[in-house]
Amino acid sequence: MPAIEARRLRKTYRTTRGVFRRERVEQVALRGVDLAIERGELFGLLGPNGAGKTTMVKIFTTLLLPTSGAAVVLGLDAVRDQWALRRRIGFVFGGERGLYWRLSGLDNLRYFADLYRIPPEVSRRRIPELLERLGLAGRERDRVELYSRGMKQRLHLARGLLNDPEVLFLDEPTIGLDPVGARELRVIVRELADAGKTIFLTTHYMFEADAICDRIAVIKGGEIVAEGTPSSIKTVVQDQGVVEFEVVGMPADRLAGLRTLPGVTSVAVADHELAQVVTIHCARPADVMTQLGLVLDGMTMEKVSSREPTLEDAYVQLIGDSPANSEASP
Amino acid sequence: MNLLGPQRLVVRSLVRAAFSAFVLSVRLRVISPWSYLNWLVFPLLFAIVGLYVLSLPGAGSSHLVYGVLGGGLIGYWSVAYIDAGNGIQDERWNGTLEQIFATPTPLWVILLGKVCGGLLFGLFAFVPTAAAAFFGFHAVLPALDPWRFVISLGVLTLSFFCIAITMAPLFALWRWAFSMINGFELGVYILCGFMFPVAVLAPWAQGVAGFLAPTWAVKALYAATVAQGPHDFAAWWAVTSGLSLAYLAGAYFLYALVEREARVSGELALV
Repeated sequence: MPAIEARRLRKTYRTTRGVFRRERVEQVALRGVDLAIERGELFGLLGPNGAGKTTMVKIFTTLLLPTSGAAVVLGLDAVRDQWALRRRIGFVFGGERGLYWRLSGLDNLRYFADLYRIPPEVSRRRIPELLERLGLAGRERDRVELYSRGMKQRLHLARGLLNDPEVLFLDEPTIGLDPVGARELRVIVRELADAGKTIFLTTHYMFEADAICDRIAVIKGGEIVAEGTPSSIKTVVQDQGVVEFEVVGMPADRLAGLRTLPGVTSVAVADHELAQVVTIHCARPADVMTQLGLVLDGMTMEKVSSREPTLEDAYVQLIGDSPANSEASP
Repeated sequence: MNLLGPQRLVVRSLVRAAFSAFVLSVRLRVISPWSYLNWLVFPLLFAIVGLYVLSLPGAGSSHLVYGVLGGGLIGYWSVAYIDAGNGIQDERWNGTLEQIFATPTPLWVILLGKVCGGLLFGLFAFVPTAAAAFFGFHAVLPALDPWRFVISLGVLTLSFFCIAITMAPLFALWRWAFSMINGFELGVYILCGFMFPVAVLAPWAQGVAGFLAPTWAVKALYAATVAQGPHDFAAWWAVTSGLSLAYLAGAYFLYALVEREARVSGELALV
């Protein structure tokens, strides 16, 4: 039996738009997702903002009801068995909110330990262990508002681990953290998975998924578009190369010209300070590089390079040139 | 109560969760400047204005008790009711509303603890207002019947508790519910006769007041401070308790609705 399972999972939000003439609209966040995650796996769900990642986590953690389909965690239905399920899972949402800033870290943990209905003799032992393990020992009596962002996120993780959950859901846990803080958190997450916990991690950082996940899925517009190990996902672009360069000001007609070059499968543009970084996925990088000058006639290119594709390239290929989506997220 | 082992553990863990919510709400109030406005500053202002007006030459001396107790009643009601809504709204803004909702403790247990914290702080409102009456205006309760006064205050507390715990889930489910909070707060001041007798209201307003549980408890509370009758304490306490329990019965269905609707709409995450 999988630890986490989604069967034809669908979620539609009903909302309104307009101020004077209100109009009812439906936004589809998940479009019949099927997913199975085994016990002990560290599973990563990748996708752009609004793709349905958070919605899926909230359904599994009993915060949302699906419109149709089934969400099962540890054999318990996330819709009907919410009380039993909540005792056996933990969750951590990214960002600084979700803590009582004017209270100490210790007060926060004690409060949530009681809400998780953990016997006092257990919480008295477990809270110091978690504080020690997550590097918060010695600062537990400080108000949370004095914590750094990384410390707050580790406190979130401590809260998520209070009930020693069998399954842990992490929704973009490293968002907004500095590189060192993010790396520390990734190490802790990997250790938890090695200790036997099933972890469901959502992220839009490819290197994060590549570094720590056993298996990943890519979600776009509420649908899973790829699933497998990081290596198998990379095979999407294994026959391709990547050409990258920087340019200042990228006119639309030149961009369209790049897309028509032979062998080009996708072109993505990302702002980098005052310049734009253009990433071209193509079958024959050498051919494309020779033709760049013709298409970008007169424009100055810098840092032109060709390289092997990464997981991020596979992701871009799967998501498409423009990852912006119209789906909702609560 | 003869509960079996596992049931006893469940009850104990729920009581512990409610007590923890109570302690948290008290701690947050102690460190929040806003809470001092609600139980100290505003009631004191109301009390001073009321006492001043009621002690002017020509004002009925029997009405001076409204100045002595009125500010405290307003403060008590404000903290008990407003803080129930404010507490939910603060949880929403802090991003903790979803966190507490997703724990294995039902929302009503958490709110029960929080509302009790509000009631405790609300009672403090009588301290500055009584002090202002005594020291500032030399006003006292003329013929205080201590036992009837304490029972009336207890019954009033029950009514405040039932209203607060019934209304609180609405603030969790609908953000717009927060905007109606002030209107209802003021309406209860006036309709329930906190600072003047309900008898001075229009007949239709007196009819509405009759359906509000605090009206009868406040009537009993004031009656316990003056000698002249007729007083029917038992009936007033019974009506207050009956209406309060009716609100509580409504709350039972409301919580079931909130538990479900919040999971359909995802409203808990929105600020």
